[in-house]
Amino acid sequence: MSKTKVDEINRNIYDIKNKDEYEFKIKKGLTPEIIKEISKQKNDPEWMAEFRLKALEVYNKLELPTWGPDLSELNMDEIATYVRPKSKLNNSWEDVPEDIKNTFDKLGIPEAEKTSLAGVGAQYDSEVVYHSMKEELIKQGVIYTDMETAVREYPELVKKHFMKCVPVSDHKFVALHGAVWSGGSFVYVPKGVKVDIPLQSYFRLNSPESGQFEHTLIIVDEGASLHFIEGCSAPKYNKVNLHAGCVELYVKENAYLRYSTIENWSKNMLNLNTKKAIVEKNAKMEWVSGSFGSKISMLYPMSILNGEGAKTEFTGISFAGKGQNLDNGFKVVHNSPNTSSVVNAKSISKNGGKCTYRSLVRINENAKNSKALVSCESLMLDDISISDTIPVNDIQTDEVEFSHEAKIGKISDKTIFYLMSRGLSEEDAKAMIVRGFAYPISKELPVEYAVEMNNLINLELEGAIG
Amino acid sequence: MEKIILNETPVRTAKNFNINNIKLENIEIPKNIKTFNNVQVKVEGTTNIVEEAETNINTLTYGVGNKLQNIEPNKSLKITIKSKKNQEILIDFNLDKDLIDNIEINVEEGTNAILIIKYKSENDIKTFHSGIIKTILQKNSKINLVIVNLINIKSNNFLSIENELKANSILKYTIIDFGGKNSITNYYSNLQEQEAENELNTIYLGKDNQLFDLNYIGELRGEKSNMNIEVQGALKDNAKKHFKGTIDFKKGCKKSKGNEDEFCMLLSDTAKSLALPMLLCSEEDVEGNHSSATGKAGEKELFYIMSRGFDKKEAMKLLVRAKFNKIIENIQNEELKNEILEEIDKRLD
Repeated sequence: MSKTKVDEINRNIYDIKNKDEYEFKIKKGLTPEIIKEISKQKNDPEWMAEFRLKALEVYNKLELPTWGPDLSELNMDEIATYVRPKSKLNNSWEDVPEDIKNTFDKLGIPEAEKTSLAGVGAQYDSEVVYHSMKEELIKQGVIYTDMETAVREYPELVKKHFMKCVPVSDHKFVALHGAVWSGGSFVYVPKGVKVDIPLQSYFRLNSPESGQFEHTLIIVDEGASLHFIEGCSAPKYNKVNLHAGCVELYVKENAYLRYSTIENWSKNMLNLNTKKAIVEKNAKMEWVSGSFGSKISMLYPMSILNGEGAKTEFTGISFAGKGQNLDNGFKVVHNSPNTSSVVNAKSISKNGGKCTYRSLVRINENAKNSKALVSCESLMLDDISISDTIPVNDIQTDEVEFSHEAKIGKISDKTIFYLMSRGLSEEDAKAMIVRGFAYPISKELPVEYAVEMNNLINLELEGAIG
Repeated sequence: MEKIILNETPVRTAKNFNINNIKLENIEIPKNIKTFNNVQVKVEGTTNIVEEAETNINTLTYGVGNKLQNIEPNKSLKITIKSKKNQEILIDFNLDKDLIDNIEINVEEGTNAILIIKYKSENDIKTFHSGIIKTILQKNSKINLVIVNLINIKSNNFLSIENELKANSILKYTIIDFGGKNSITNYYSNLQEQEAENELNTIYLGKDNQLFDLNYIGELRGEKSNMNIEVQGALKDNAKKHFKGTIDFKKGCKKSKGNEDEFCMLLSDTAKSLALPMLLCSEEDVEGNHSSATGKAGEKELFYIMSRGFDKKEAMKLLVRAKFNKIIENIQNEELKNEILEEIDKRLD
């Protein structure tokens, strides 16, 4: 009873399926002609049109990964890589077409904008339909806009940073992204400016058999700080959808950036996303990540600690249910002395879901006096699920402190017994333990998103235990 | 001379992490080698049997790599443990020439023994060693197996170890891995039945340009089985170590436990440590843990020892010995224990 009720109410928020209406949808497949057509539709400057074609060449040369989840069901001939919604970019929700606005209303975006955000970007399929930021930030010189506007209005800044942190040669899906990217957000926080309230971009993919390839480029200049939140969801269709976004973050000297993600793609989505940050002297990069959706996810945010004293933290949770294979993790490369990294990763597998924690910690020769602490914990909620931990630790110098700990196990019978002796039902006891397990991650999120994450956990658990 | 790819991990990860396998160049694989005779076998009592006989090792589940496993052996030994008196067998290979050995060990139901296999170079002649050691433990049996690699650092050392454990059997494996220009070991244990136990303790000590590639895999299938891996190592000069450890909880191994601890002490700023401690889990009611740590010798501990009148080198030796001591204590043969301790001192000089 409880399971049905929860499924009907909560899941529907994410599963709202609007009619597949669009202004333009590119034909399926991936050819130079299709890429040229995307460039034409997007009115790309010449350098970007050339960039896309070169990226396609790289894509054609690179192999699919020889590790991780099976991607054989991905057929690019069946995916439309560009879908322009029937809406222009707006800076007022009133101007957004009603069905699209309703979707974002139900996802709580306009309400969150009023109460707890300094700026919001909302992307629907391949284009951003809404972008707005508080006046005081504009006065301080903060730029928060969609990527297309940034390419047009800040060409030098974009050219200097676009796909330099994540080059198209990194892997096949980054090359694909380089060829077909569309939408996403551009943020520039000038020197010394502290953005106290978060900015949020929300990515919604509505169109079936299509892909979303948004590009997020954030530059936090010297001594500045920012909290950026990314949310994503899509309704479920029978055939696979593809998400191959790219996030490039530049955290300059003494700057601070926190990048939080709540990912709840539908369970027909292949989420092959790439996120990387370059962290300079005495700067700090924090990643907070909740991964709940997708059929297959391969997501390993990466911090490159280039400056002396640079720091990074990763706090993440994955929750895999029936039919899901979430292959997530974190990568960090220490390139300078006195750098530090702290990783706290958790995963929960249930109903036949598979969670893999895959990681890299590399401390290079010149990163003397660096520290890296890694902790990962996996919880198995039944005997049909799978949980793997595949961490690589590459230590190339002696003046380091490195430690890694991992645990896999089930919910302790003793703890359940204890809670039941205090009057809780077995289901409530288990749910309480799982929420406690996830607490170190949820406490890192702004309260509204922590509530969303707890709701997602409750929703997933109702299916598992109820 | 050819380039060979060896020691593939059971599960692959990203290619640019450089750990899915090891590629070695300029490895000369010997052909048509003559029988190896420079081996001494000492057997306590008369019940346990060591005989020169063809072994029944056809294929290995993992192993270092087919290219090496398919070489015709020049020494094959079959060992049958029939005693319940925990008697010691010592097999001592002196590598004065290339050695390809196959050793099959059958530990019969309810028996127990101590078996030490030592590979040592008495001089610095460059040789080639590739060995296979396969152990089958029948129900309620127990064996304490010690492998000691003291081959010189001009030679190459390849070792494939495979174990099958039946119900309630106990396998205690100790590997002392000091020798070889390249020392490549594949260790695979299949804990097939309930309440099987495997403890694997390794120490390695690298100097100059030595490379150690350790690929340890434990698959737990029986209920209430237990696998414990502990690896302690120290690297000086330009030595490198790759540790790939996998504990795989297969479906059905309810109430099993697996632990994997790996510690590497770096004694120079050009030594390198690469590790992949994997836990794979397809069963709910299990406990799996791993921990891994890398760093230099503790400044505080060094300072304390030096304040007692030792110079830095001696203090370092004491620290390394202290780290290794817990594992060396597993060896009951005093003569061998002293030989290992002397070897540690010699390699740290």
